[in-house]
Amino acid sequence: MSTSVATRKRRRIPLVDRIALIICGLVLAIAVIGPWIAPHDPYAVNLSQRLLGPGPEHWLGTDINGRDVLSRILTGARTTLLATAVVLAVTVVIGVVVGTLAAVGGRVVDEIIMRITDVGLAVPSIVLALGFAVALGPGIGSAIIAVSVSWWPGYVRLIRTVVRETMQSEFVESAVALGVGRRRLILRHVLPNSLDILYVQVTLDVAAVMLVISGLSFIGVGAQVPSAEWGAMIAAAADNVTSGWWALVFPGLAIAITAIAFSLVGDWLRVLRDPTLKQEN
Amino acid sequence: MNVARYVARRLLLSGVVFFGLVVLAFVLVTVLPGDPARAAAGRNATAAQVAEARERLGLDDPVLVQFWHYLTNVLQGDLGNSVFTHRAVLADIADVLPSSLELVAAAMLINIVIGVPLGVLAAYRRGRTLDVMARIVALLGATMPVFWLGLLLQLVLSSRLGLFPLYGQLGFGERVPDITGVITIDALLSGDPALFSSALAHLILPALTLAASFIAVIARTVRSSMITSLDADYVTLARATGAGELRVVVRHALRNALVPMSTILGMQLGWMLGVTVLVESTFSRQGIGAYMVDAVLQNDLYAVIGSILVIGVVFIVTNLVVDLVQLWINPRLRDGLAPARPAAPEAVR
Repeated sequence: MSTSVATRKRRRIPLVDRIALIICGLVLAIAVIGPWIAPHDPYAVNLSQRLLGPGPEHWLGTDINGRDVLSRILTGARTTLLATAVVLAVTVVIGVVVGTLAAVGGRVVDEIIMRITDVGLAVPSIVLALGFAVALGPGIGSAIIAVSVSWWPGYVRLIRTVVRETMQSEFVESAVALGVGRRRLILRHVLPNSLDILYVQVTLDVAAVMLVISGLSFIGVGAQVPSAEWGAMIAAAADNVTSGWWALVFPGLAIAITAIAFSLVGDWLRVLRDPTLKQEN
Repeated sequence: MNVARYVARRLLLSGVVFFGLVVLAFVLVTVLPGDPARAAAGRNATAAQVAEARERLGLDDPVLVQFWHYLTNVLQGDLGNSVFTHRAVLADIADVLPSSLELVAAAMLINIVIGVPLGVLAAYRRGRTLDVMARIVALLGATMPVFWLGLLLQLVLSSRLGLFPLYGQLGFGERVPDITGVITIDALLSGDPALFSSALAHLILPALTLAASFIAVIARTVRSSMITSLDADYVTLARATGAGELRVVVRHALRNALVPMSTILGMQLGWMLGVTVLVESTFSRQGIGAYMVDAVLQNDLYAVIGSILVIGVVFIVTNLVVDLVQLWINPRLRDGLAPARPAAPEAVR
């Protein structure tokens, strides 16, 4: 970014990407140990302490119910990130299985799968997720199912494209010429050489999925009150924006910083995988 | 592929996607947990009323028969009734849709006016400060939660600085004649400039909020196709003929970026209509997004599914129109030289 490509040493990670990597690591660590390092009880209502500004006792202030904002952000990281991780795990598995099927299953199978993904992509994920959320009832579980249902078509398309490309390569031709069976060809030769793109796409998608999950919680169909989920915290703070900006600003910053860090790392991985992109970007 | 065959195939594809959308809607209203008869009869209905609703909705029929009824109803514009407003869902949506279309149009305008020049400049000054700054703007737009951005703009620009109205579509006590349903147009038609400027002032913040996450994608698309075309021989040739730099960039290089640009903008139009669910309620606008959020919170199943169908249809139609317009923009498509539409970048999701 700041240094030009020519002067940069080989294999040295650019400063911005290094910072992004550290933030990603920190956020993941907080998702694991957050509840233990929280200075206060994230759920303890204390009406005499309501809407206190940031200070030495409450670094990021308190919310309308007198709960410590910092403790809630630290605790809530787990909810938001775990939900995101489950969505991505589910959609990646569906994507690999169905996408591979589309790529190698012949024209009819391919056509059917592609038209189904068209339907999934014809409705914005947040809208489709609302449909599932209302059918399944509110809750973080429904939100996870809802977002997964709206997210898998993207992975199916990605895997289908990559597997098709791999099928064209010379080593696959050689394997076919050597008489490798179809099943073994796909499982042992094609897939292992296709799936590295997933590291990139999953990292890039962390931000997008997280935004949809917290959006659902903001609307009121994801994580429910009094959960410390970041989107739900913003929704709760929205009603008294003017009297306590900190309860609104800090959970949003948590989302934005996490999203930026994962996006940057995703972009870095993308260039690492395909250095020709460096010229373009 | 000749033009007629291409158009026929494209129409057929749109039909297939629409059919799939109706199947999806049907699954959501009938197959998933929850009793549609109870949903239709209302939360406080007696057992007899629920049984009556079950009979009326044909819920004891075989699934395929039920689907056939559902499909024919949808095709006739019957999306069911809202439990909350006690009106036909389509009539409800027809009332709120103009407000959302106004918001989406304004957001699209902001998107194009900021995103396209940003992409062009970033490509032109590739690797320089301006390019890096454009990247930062794009990154921020794409990663900030839309609903949070809306609240922040409200907090700073409206509440603290008083530059814009806090929420609503018009000031307190202001009314426009109901001509088109689009407030700004109706205000303009009423001939009252103060009313028009009030409507516009109420529109700016929600439109900016809605546009923010889309600017990044269009700027990136324009940038990458501009980079390709700026290096192309015909651009070098145009420069060699002595054409001015502005003319070279706009008339020659940007022209070639029109095809990917129009594809993305077309998709974004449909997506923006969906993202209104995260914007309209915050600004107390009465559009399809706010309608859908209310419906979700009141467990108004038919209203939610009806909104999904309408948003899906808008998306299908805009994409169809964009593809057909591209036949006209891009002559290579007519001759069958260019492949079909490019894949959507993941970021539009």
